Amino acid sequence: MSIEVRRYEHGSRVPGWDEAADLSKDPAQVPDPATTPVPEDLRAEIEAHMANYPDHRSAAIPALAAVQRRYGWCTPEGIEQAACVMRLTPAYLVAVATFYDMLETRPVARHTIYVCTNISCSLRGADELLAAFKDAGDEQEFNIRGFECLGACDIAPMASVNGVYVGPVTRDEVPEVIAALRQGREVLPDKHLVKRPVADPNAQT
Amino acid sequence: MTDPILFKDIDEPGLRTLEVYRRRGGYDMVSKALAMTRDELVHDLEISGLRGRGGAGFSMGKKASFLPKTTMDKYLVCNADESEPGTFKDRELMTKLPHMLIEGIIIAAHAAGANRAFIYIRGEYQEVADILDAALVEARDAGYLDNLPLVVHRGAGAYICGEETGLLDSLEGKRGNPRLKPPFPANQGLYQGPTLINNVETLMTVPHIVRMGGESYAKIGAANSTGTKVVSVSGNVQRPGNYEIELGIASRELIYGLAGGPPEGREILFWFPGGSSSPVLTKDELDVPYDFDSMAKAGSMIGSGAIIIVDDSNSVVDVALKLASFYRHESCGKCTPCREGTNWTVKVLERIQSGLGTPMDLDIMASVQDRIIGNCLCVLGDSMAMPIGSMIEKFRPQFEEYMESRREVAA
Amino acid sequence: MPRPFHRDITFSIDGREVTAPENTILVDAAKYGDVEIPVFCYEPKLGQPVGACRMCLVEIEGIPKLQTACSTPVKDGMVVHTLTDRVKEAQNAVVEFLLINHPLDCPVCDKGGECPLQDISFGWGAGVSRFIEPKRHFEKPLSLSPLVAIDRERCILCYRCVRFSQEVAEDYQLVFEERGAHTYVSTFNGHPYVAPFSGNIIELCPVGALTSKPYRFRARPWDIEQAGSVCTLCPSQCNVSFTVRDDRVLRVLARDHKEVDDGWLCDKGRFAYQAIHADERITRPMIRDGGELREVSWDRALDEAAAALGRARGKVAAVVGGQTSNEEGHLLSHLVRDVLGSSDVESRVAGAPSAELRVALDHPDLQATVPDIEFAHAVLVIDAEPVDDMPIIDLRIRKGVRRNHVKLGVATSRPSSLDPNASAVARFAPGAGEAFLAALNAALGGGGVLSELAEAAGTTEQAVRDVAALFDATDLVILYGERLLSGPRADQTARALLNVAGKSFERGRDGAGLMEIPAGTNSRGLREVGCVSDRSPAEIAEAAAGGDLTALYLLHTDPLVDLAGEWEPALDRATTVIAHSMFLTPGIAEHATIVFPAESWAEREGTVTHPDGRLQRLRAGIGRPGDVRACWQTLAELSKRLGADISILTGSMATAQMAEHVPIYAGITHDELGGQGVRWQERDAASAYPGDVDFGPFGLEAPPVRPRPSGSELQFATFRSIWGGPEVAASPALQFLRSRPRVLLSPADAQRLELFDGLAATVAPDGREAVEATVHVRDAVPEGSAFLESDVAGVVGTAGIRKAEAAVVV
Ligand SMILES: Cc1cc2nc3c(=O)[nH]c(=O)nc-3n(C[C@H](O)[C@H](O)[C@H](O)COP(=O)(O)O)c2cc1C
Ligand code: SF4
Ligand code: FES
Repeated sequence: MSIEVRRYEHGSRVPGWDEAADLSKDPAQVPDPATTPVPEDLRAEIEAHMANYPDHRSAAIPALAAVQRRYGWCTPEGIEQAACVMRLTPAYLVAVATFYDMLETRPVARHTIYVCTNISCSLRGADELLAAFKDAGDEQEFNIRGFECLGACDIAPMASVNGVYVGPVTRDEVPEVIAALRQGREVLPDKHLVKRPVADPNAQT
Repeated sequence: MTDPILFKDIDEPGLRTLEVYRRRGGYDMVSKALAMTRDELVHDLEISGLRGRGGAGFSMGKKASFLPKTTMDKYLVCNADESEPGTFKDRELMTKLPHMLIEGIIIAAHAAGANRAFIYIRGEYQEVADILDAALVEARDAGYLDNLPLVVHRGAGAYICGEETGLLDSLEGKRGNPRLKPPFPANQGLYQGPTLINNVETLMTVPHIVRMGGESYAKIGAANSTGTKVVSVSGNVQRPGNYEIELGIASRELIYGLAGGPPEGREILFWFPGGSSSPVLTKDELDVPYDFDSMAKAGSMIGSGAIIIVDDSNSVVDVALKLASFYRHESCGKCTPCREGTNWTVKVLERIQSGLGTPMDLDIMASVQDRIIGNCLCVLGDSMAMPIGSMIEKFRPQFEEYMESRREVAA
Repeated sequence: MPRPFHRDITFSIDGREVTAPENTILVDAAKYGDVEIPVFCYEPKLGQPVGACRMCLVEIEGIPKLQTACSTPVKDGMVVHTLTDRVKEAQNAVVEFLLINHPLDCPVCDKGGECPLQDISFGWGAGVSRFIEPKRHFEKPLSLSPLVAIDRERCILCYRCVRFSQEVAEDYQLVFEERGAHTYVSTFNGHPYVAPFSGNIIELCPVGALTSKPYRFRARPWDIEQAGSVCTLCPSQCNVSFTVRDDRVLRVLARDHKEVDDGWLCDKGRFAYQAIHADERITRPMIRDGGELREVSWDRALDEAAAALGRARGKVAAVVGGQTSNEEGHLLSHLVRDVLGSSDVESRVAGAPSAELRVALDHPDLQATVPDIEFAHAVLVIDAEPVDDMPIIDLRIRKGVRRNHVKLGVATSRPSSLDPNASAVARFAPGAGEAFLAALNAALGGGGVLSELAEAAGTTEQAVRDVAALFDATDLVILYGERLLSGPRADQTARALLNVAGKSFERGRDGAGLMEIPAGTNSRGLREVGCVSDRSPAEIAEAAAGGDLTALYLLHTDPLVDLAGEWEPALDRATTVIAHSMFLTPGIAEHATIVFPAESWAEREGTVTHPDGRLQRLRAGIGRPGDVRACWQTLAELSKRLGADISILTGSMATAQMAEHVPIYAGITHDELGGQGVRWQERDAASAYPGDVDFGPFGLEAPPVRPRPSGSELQFATFRSIWGGPEVAASPALQFLRSRPRVLLSPADAQRLELFDGLAATVAPDGREAVEATVHVRDAVPEGSAFLESDVAGVVGTAGIRKAEAAVVV
């Protein structure tokens, strides 16, 4: 076995670090409504979120989530549109978007599968489960990511499939998950966490 | 063991709906609490001895009493970020008892004099947030929220937003970086206004305190750790899940009696008594009573009340690396010791894993942990440094053995 | 918001009893006891401390954890330790942590030798690192903008640059992306960080992560000297320090002056130094000979100039540019008036209020100061765009609003970059300042029918009322652009302004008042030393064109761009046109008969007067290139040759002579001005200011009715952006910013005229040559108005706008 010293992980592998500004572009200021068309429904959704808070900037995450739902990820155009509605610079929103794991600032596949690989799940085989997902799912179709603790260690190893928590998931069930997603079926209906009774025997009084 | 308080009939069908919840006496405590003055209510909460269930274990009543009595806008924020590895109690509570949370929030807002409230829920809990939103519609329609605008705010995946000031920045629409304290949120929190922040479980306990009276509630549990606590048990146990216990029971009973202990033929190598941030305890420390003070005396903490059991089929180094990698990933990057310390620790552990470690690395790593603790802006750095430090301290021979074997493999 | 007051308290630091104002941040309080606490992220200019770097940890008795000295206000009886083992261990730890990811490329780093990280590692680090893992490596340096390079390996994530962008300049273009150890400084989607104040981040960065492209690798700290002076490129008059190597300016840094610039510079002030050493600069005297300007000796040029002026005696006029110093202004005025017997020495760009009204407007009792802007209850900006006209004031206004909750009102024709910060915004039609003030006066109970006046101003009653609501404030500061009081109706406008001022604050009250945002750097000083004529520039031009004036003296100005009026025929007709200039701008290249090379702002001696009355001293940082001579010397020499008994041998003698002739400046010397300057209103000589002043209230005439534009005609005004002017044009690094003709249109007008964003349009102002400009459609532009960015300032009226022939999308 050869010795492999892992290089500094966040070297050039982190998108962005090695990127220079494109000097031919204009500076990115608050987008002008006169030159930034925003789809009406997106504008309405963002404005509804803004109305929920005393300071409309609080709607940054909901607005970005709306952009992501609409375009599949937080596209630069989508961020500009949200920035235009919120009267912020797009840089403000991109700073927020890159802070949070669930907001994607690069193109990703349509289906999202987060496999928890934190301690409790990995003690019960999560790393192998993630590997099985990665083997089974095509990157074009599936955004498969190891994720930090998803708060469902009671069903370890588990996954959040398009936001639906399922578990425990065995490696054998991976092809079924993938197939169900492809066919638009419910994923492992018997293993939905929301349907699970509490573990505490004393609670059944 | 007293009867369960939060978990009573928790699996009753339809409990999520206002109708069933109300049939069980839900929202009855709102009128009772609103009939009390703010001071009476705060006093009741104080004498109940209820300590925060989110991690720090600070007296709930006392925190509510810190909010100034001015007429300016005040806020109540429910911390439903629940990202501490091993913790999943708030999820279970919110999924099954969304109205109990709303009831708790209404009462706590009265105690704090807050006129606006938010539930900050981690973005991953989409299903739970939908359940809360549905309950909110019902509660609003029933008029419970006429004087208290309450909004469910979904995060988007960042552990640090569980830290109360990081949460506030995130809720204000910024990156979730923690703030300097002081000023504390009770004086200057959300939008610079006085803010009470409490964990989901803490707030859900509030209606029960109103029902029982602070004094009776204080009779449950142990000295200085009153009441019941929902504990999430996970990892190498036979029955992982949430258990509501009376504070002060023996940890062994909880781990073996309720959760079934490690799988057949396995022994506990070590365990985290309060989430991955708590210093680890060994199998010789299973008789520590499960309450705030006893755990502190044993050199650890009950934190969020999440027990993670690691059995002897695992290596301490692998767990340490998982843990350090998690904190590196979640460090917000604002302050130097946390950002660089977590990063450095991961790199040393990775090198050890690849067979290039030496015992000196353990000294360096231990010293790095010491240099993180107490020097950071918030306690995320400490949350890695304390368990990693405890692992090196308690399992040095295992670390050295591991290094030896990896070196051989590598050679 | 009144200025905070702090009493002195006593605390102990490292065993020393130290007295400092209560609530001073510990880092600063420690300095009272000569204790240095190392910091990276702490920079009070940036606002609230962030406590990110953890370098400043100290031990405070009674608090178990170490505390950040950058966020702890000092209290009476506090006992602080910075030398204990615990503190040292924490300091060693932070330095070690910072260095694990910092490349040790100091030998090739521009910051080397003047780097806080080097200094702090040396002073507070342990001297060894135990980090043996591979360091991170990235491509470097990368462009962050055409002016700033970024080296992300070196960044220690101290937050200074992003806080500047977000909380000082408020352009919010520079941000952190990602989190944890992945965090990096960036902009949106590869857009460059281009903003009026972007260069400040270079100075703020405590490591070599952000460097100035024009300065990179030009010098090492031991090669250079710093020379303090004042930037004269705009009325802000920021205090600067020139970095000089081999008699060349290689860099300009801010020289903190709380009452002037707050320690910031705009990018023009920071980077236009390149113009000083530009090839285009005039370095020898020139005489027009056979239609061409040819270099000649000083003697010949002076002889010819003296002879020509002598011939024109009584028929001489001088126009004086805004960058002229008080001394130069005084000497020229002496030359023209006392020696040549003419009376036209004019420094104002267009018609201006009468002397009596000016005396009222500039009265010390009505004068606001720069810090007043920050601490007032409310600030009203009328007919000025600070970021273009006086950039540093823009930052001061933002600071007041952000930190002290100053209420801001903006009343302008062109949408302002301050609009988002304002609690009241009013748009009036270009040139309708008088009507707006009259409307405001009416809204404040000063008489007149508000609805009619608002209509005449092209604004709404509500907008006027919103602005009037600011006048509830006790301390109100009104900032008005010089152009508000320009033009034929300057007197009427000035009276309206005085009426409004009379309604808004108590005369003589500290913290409230008026402040002019002048058209030229030293407009105020030039007025005060007497560069004012009875005739407006347009009238002077007319007289010259009619042959009544035969010699024109252009001091630091090109009338074709700087002045109102028809100057082309005037310059054509005049027999003699003497220009004192750094560059051959169009009017000078075309018309000057004698050209004297002018000193740059880094070569001059003398004084200038800030709009709030602060006299500041210009000091030469470098020698004059080529044959350039001091301007005061040239003017004194001309006087002498024309027979006046004048003997000035040094710059300070010039100042002394000027002060002798200006009663309110009496006795001012270079020594008294020192490095910080002094406001004349605060000196005893201020008592020489004319008494018996009529402050109004005045009865106001009805403002004239503006003709309604129709068809492709729009209400119109030109504006000069911060990037206008010959200095920017001559600085290679600023070429990308150089002001280009662009016309701002409202979406409705653009649609009606079938013009799209980016299209080329022909803009034909009434009675002027048409220009081609790029269309910028802006939501905030009011329908019916159009604004043209142009070096030619102050054109107001109507203009026809249509698609350019063969329009191309830019
Ligand atoms: C890094 C970090 C993460 C935290 N995460 C959570 C969390 O997910 N949920 C929570 O309730 N409290 C969390 N806390 C604790 C909160 O800061 C805060 O103490 C708590 O919300 C207060 O509520 P309580 O008094 O009801 O416990 C975290 C603290 C730290 C330092
Ligand atoms: S680039 Fe410089 S100023 Fe900006 S965060 Fe990094 S070290 Fe600080
Ligand atoms: S200077 Fe105090 S934390 Fe940076």
